[in-house]
Amino acid sequence: MTTPSRTEAPGAAAGAPPPPLLLRAGRSALSARMPTLAVAALLVVTVAASAVLQPNFFSAYSMTASFATFLPLATIAAAQTIIVLAGGIDLSLGTIVTLAAAVSVVLMDGDDARLPLALAAGLATGAACGLVNGLVVAGLRLQPIVATFATSSVFGGAALLVLPQPGGEASPALTETFRMVVALYVPVPAVLLVLLWAAWRLLRRHRFGQYLYAVGGGADAAYTSAVPVSAVRVFSYTAGGLVAALAGVALLADSGAGDPTLGTELTLGSIAALVIGGTRLRGGVGGVGGALVGAVVLSLIQGLVFFAGVPTDAREFVYGCIIIAAIALAGLLTARGARRPAHAGGPR
Amino acid sequence: MDTPPFLRMSGVRKRYGGVTALAGADFEAEAGTVHAVLGPNGSGKSTLLKVLTGVVAPDAGEVLLEGRRLRPRGPRDTLAAGVSAVYQELSLIEEFSVLDNLVLGVEPTRFGLRDTRAARARALPWLERFAPAFGGRVPADERAADLDPGERQIVEICKALVREPRVLVLDEATASLRRAQVDVLFEVVGELRERGVLILFITHRLAEILALCDRATVMRNGADVATVTVGETPERELVELMSGGTPRTPETDTGTTGTAAAGAGSAAPAGARTDASRVRPRAAAAAPGGEPAAAEPLLEVRDLSGDRVDGVSFQVRPGEVLGLGGLQGQGQSELMAILFGARRRSGGTVLLNGRPVHPRSPKQAVRAGFAYVPGNRGAQGLALGRPILENFALPSVGRRAGLGVALSRRREIAAARAVAERIGTRYGSLDDPVSTLSGGNQQKIVVGKWFPTEPVVVLMDDPAKGIDLRAKAEMFAVVAELAAAGAAVVLGASDDRELVEVCDRVLVLFEGRVVDEVSGDRLTEDTLIASSMHIAGRDTGTGHPEATSALPEPDRAPAPAAGTGTGGPAGAPGAADGPAPEPAPSDPGGRA
Amino acid sequence: MTVSTAPEQAPDQPERPDRPGAPARPPLARRLLRDPVVVSGALAVLLWVVAALYSPEFASWGQVVTLLTVASFLGVIAIGQTLVIIAGGEGIDLSVGATATLSAIVASRFMDGSNEGFVVAVLLALGACCVVGVVNAVGVLVFRVPPLVMTLGMIAVVTGFIRLYTGGRPEGSAAPLLRTLVTGDTVAGIPGVLWLWLGLAVLVVWLLRRTSFGWRLYAVGGNPTTAYLSGVNTTAVRFSAYVLSSLFAGVGGMLLLGYAQNVYTSLGTDYMLNSVAAAVIGGTALVGGVGGYLGTVIGAILLTVLDSLLRIMQIGGGEWGDAPRQIIYGVVLIIVLTAYGRQKRLRQ
Repeated sequence: MTTPSRTEAPGAAAGAPPPPLLLRAGRSALSARMPTLAVAALLVVTVAASAVLQPNFFSAYSMTASFATFLPLATIAAAQTIIVLAGGIDLSLGTIVTLAAAVSVVLMDGDDARLPLALAAGLATGAACGLVNGLVVAGLRLQPIVATFATSSVFGGAALLVLPQPGGEASPALTETFRMVVALYVPVPAVLLVLLWAAWRLLRRHRFGQYLYAVGGGADAAYTSAVPVSAVRVFSYTAGGLVAALAGVALLADSGAGDPTLGTELTLGSIAALVIGGTRLRGGVGGVGGALVGAVVLSLIQGLVFFAGVPTDAREFVYGCIIIAAIALAGLLTARGARRPAHAGGPR
Repeated sequence: MDTPPFLRMSGVRKRYGGVTALAGADFEAEAGTVHAVLGPNGSGKSTLLKVLTGVVAPDAGEVLLEGRRLRPRGPRDTLAAGVSAVYQELSLIEEFSVLDNLVLGVEPTRFGLRDTRAARARALPWLERFAPAFGGRVPADERAADLDPGERQIVEICKALVREPRVLVLDEATASLRRAQVDVLFEVVGELRERGVLILFITHRLAEILALCDRATVMRNGADVATVTVGETPERELVELMSGGTPRTPETDTGTTGTAAAGAGSAAPAGARTDASRVRPRAAAAAPGGEPAAAEPLLEVRDLSGDRVDGVSFQVRPGEVLGLGGLQGQGQSELMAILFGARRRSGGTVLLNGRPVHPRSPKQAVRAGFAYVPGNRGAQGLALGRPILENFALPSVGRRAGLGVALSRRREIAAARAVAERIGTRYGSLDDPVSTLSGGNQQKIVVGKWFPTEPVVVLMDDPAKGIDLRAKAEMFAVVAELAAAGAAVVLGASDDRELVEVCDRVLVLFEGRVVDEVSGDRLTEDTLIASSMHIAGRDTGTGHPEATSALPEPDRAPAPAAGTGTGGPAGAPGAADGPAPEPAPSDPGGRA
Repeated sequence: MTVSTAPEQAPDQPERPDRPGAPARPPLARRLLRDPVVVSGALAVLLWVVAALYSPEFASWGQVVTLLTVASFLGVIAIGQTLVIIAGGEGIDLSVGATATLSAIVASRFMDGSNEGFVVAVLLALGACCVVGVVNAVGVLVFRVPPLVMTLGMIAVVTGFIRLYTGGRPEGSAAPLLRTLVTGDTVAGIPGVLWLWLGLAVLVVWLLRRTSFGWRLYAVGGNPTTAYLSGVNTTAVRFSAYVLSSLFAGVGGMLLLGYAQNVYTSLGTDYMLNSVAAAVIGGTALVGGVGGYLGTVIGAILLTVLDSLLRIMQIGGGEWGDAPRQIIYGVVLIIVLTAYGRQKRLRQ
């Protein structure tokens, strides 16, 4: 008699003891952690390469500049991840970023006193846009890709209404705080990045954090398990919109002015970052942590291409190729669940 | 009775598009009972219980629980009312740990956050109670995706129990369970009954009904037919009710249908069945004046191995129907998939007409002359949203195309019509989506689409699963026709009776190996059952649940009469001596 | 064959009564109201009438021809999009815009304003597009990268390549032959580009409805497992869909070149999501296996009419610039999609 393995028919394993519990749990944990390990490895490689190629990479100034560039992309990647985890996708996130930034910059108008109001208005705008997306997708049951493409046109138009040309003036307090270095080595953007991650961990511990994964992992199964699927979907888009607005504020703080035309580029970057970070595009697998690291990796690669002495005209191409390679690698690792089209002759 | 029943559903109606699933069904059940809901597939029993759990919105009718009207907007509401269900199609999140799955939707919270310790405290006792079903371990932190189907089903049951239901719905919950798992489940169900929980139980296994259930309601065509007390109802009557109430007399109007039903219900002693009761005469009799054994084998398989298939060898002659028997999930499906190139072959040779063939994809297999009817019609056999015409044409569409590409609609329609007529498919228009057809007619398309490719080897994985008796008989007439045309047919079936009726020889598989070959006079259901469970004699006595339910438990198989605490009347081995009044419960839905 | 298959029509209900005879079909009027081609077509005509009432010259023959000419670019680029979406497996090709630009840039450089290099230029341009399609297909089918991400990443690669190839300054211009084809009227007062579109439309509709490739494509999109087990080489079918998508994007790019005469690097950007929108409006569902090219044609015309209507309404009062047009465009898109492009309910 052959040793029955765990994958055999239910009846087959009856005679033999199952493999040790620890082994099974270990294998289970390892397979679940694979993408995380991969993106961590990618981070180590890019940081090491940056340290070698980029003089003074670890200097306080350079760190501040680096984190200031990481933060907007990381934030919008976090926003996209929340939505993708719940099985959606939001192509309007970029326009939400620009709209929120535009609303903020117009309201603050270079005046520190108006900063709190302006920030609140910007965040509220983002959340409202997200809510609209959520209602359109969950309420009207439209396919997320097309629906959010349509709303991106609306939000983009609104951004143009608010701020017809790039410009406006951010409040000095905002831009200065953003450039500060806390405790001699840690720049403010890095602190914000950690705060963002902490907020995600908090959400993850909340019911709705769990429900995001449940809905993305199987909406029907979640529904029969009494998970409020539609509410979770609306929540994911709203939360995504809110976080996207944070990205808008970060962008504003970094550049000091608003720009109504950034839109699509940011959306695309956010999707690339989350995929590299190990989040499955179909939903239910991944996390914001990975997306943050993915965004950092993307930014670092962009810097690397610059510092590696690639000719100006070839930079974009090289960058594009590296991204495709990174995505393909991440795809190979996250595609564990995707089987061949035929799993014929499975258990009856 | 003055007090209103604990649960009452009345006048429930539901239509899906043009198909009526429930036509005014009434249902009543009392707390503290195990109530079986029986009926052939498509009788609406699953839909009825989904209305109860709020997953399906009924078009009409009302549900009263303890006299209060239940108007659920979804499963959340019914769950709050104390109704929780174990569904046929699983509702686990694959990527979640077992523990997370158990408390999904009812997570305990502290300070607004999920309290994992409380969750563990709430869910772990149930997992521990079912530990014997997990081979003695408590898989709380394993991913649901890493469990095998039976274990997942147990998790599913635990999940329903964690919600502390007053009404527990078990929809075919035992179908994928091992014997030990069923034992634990039945013990727990008994405890719940003591506590006053109403358990609604859907199953096709007669033994389970006899062992567990107090009352039984039989459904047919979307309405309830009868409600009986299990203990007071003769087993035979139950069987008739379960099998769709088809009178067990030969029907003269539908030809083969009658013989199929008659063969099933024949009171003749096992083994003494004549060829007249079969769908088709055996190949031995069919071959005109010659020993068929003399004919060259059309398909020869030597030492074939692969995932779940371990060194299988056999031969099939032209015109022969070879059955693959044994308990379900012993590699029958995998064997066919490997032959068809849909699964990887790790060793062995396959000879077709004496020449070795090694298809690495279904495309190559089709070219070599194979045809394959997969076990899951909706997921593997049909593109449900596409028109009937395209589904018919799919395997052979390239053959009729001019220059390999250009199709003529007239030619396609003619080809599809020809096949449809041959196999008796009923349809409105060839342009309608296949999903508008009934299960039986859909299955005919899955088989019929292969006719134009003129296959020499036809692999059929449970082609009669989930279709009614009449369609089943027609299906086997098609099998007979294929064989008569000189094809070699390899047929897997979850119902031993089907194998006896249709096959010339049956290979009994166990753990991917051929453990027995049954043919000629030995080819009876009893031999098959005995053989699949590694027992020599016949044990299928009246009221003996173990053998008839064919629960896979090879370890205990040598002494099934000892009983395993499931409460069935201890079977007398002597029952084998007398004529068996009822060989096996009719099982139109298959065991899957 | 009808292109309409309402998703709700197929509740995957394992149990249904076996009844002799097929169930009755829904009445004709309801079927028409559910048919995306009919709905979109009616809406396009309605918008056109509104536009004509608003500005009578909109109804002039010349305006109609211009309108259709503009629609033809989107229509041709959306051919490939339709094929890829029908092929299923979350199929989508976001790189069509960048590919169209690439094609235009390669063609313009080799045409360089003369007819001599016309054939070579067309072949080279299509060859370049073919490479893009092959890379997309390999990424999606071999590396199992989700199509959305893969084609998104290809945008970066193609844009980068364009930058590398042109040094940021695209050169050359359309051959006179191409210009005449697109803008000059050739037969019966209708420019050649419309005849070309008509020809391609007939070809694609024939391809989908009357060839073994088309039937297999629908089967692969409808149920890949079934198709595979019926002896269809699903990988080959999907592969061709992606290559065809890039090729048709290339053809569209060259037509754009003929219309614009000169190239710029953002020539095709707008077509990325509009091609998806055109296909979806025309009833091609993103789940795959449903839809057809006729719907896409109507979708492309509808989008173009809408866009033109909003543009002429701007004439005279353009103080808000582009913004209101964008907003209304998005809102109308959502309304159109709501009419029929909805997904199945969780509760049956």
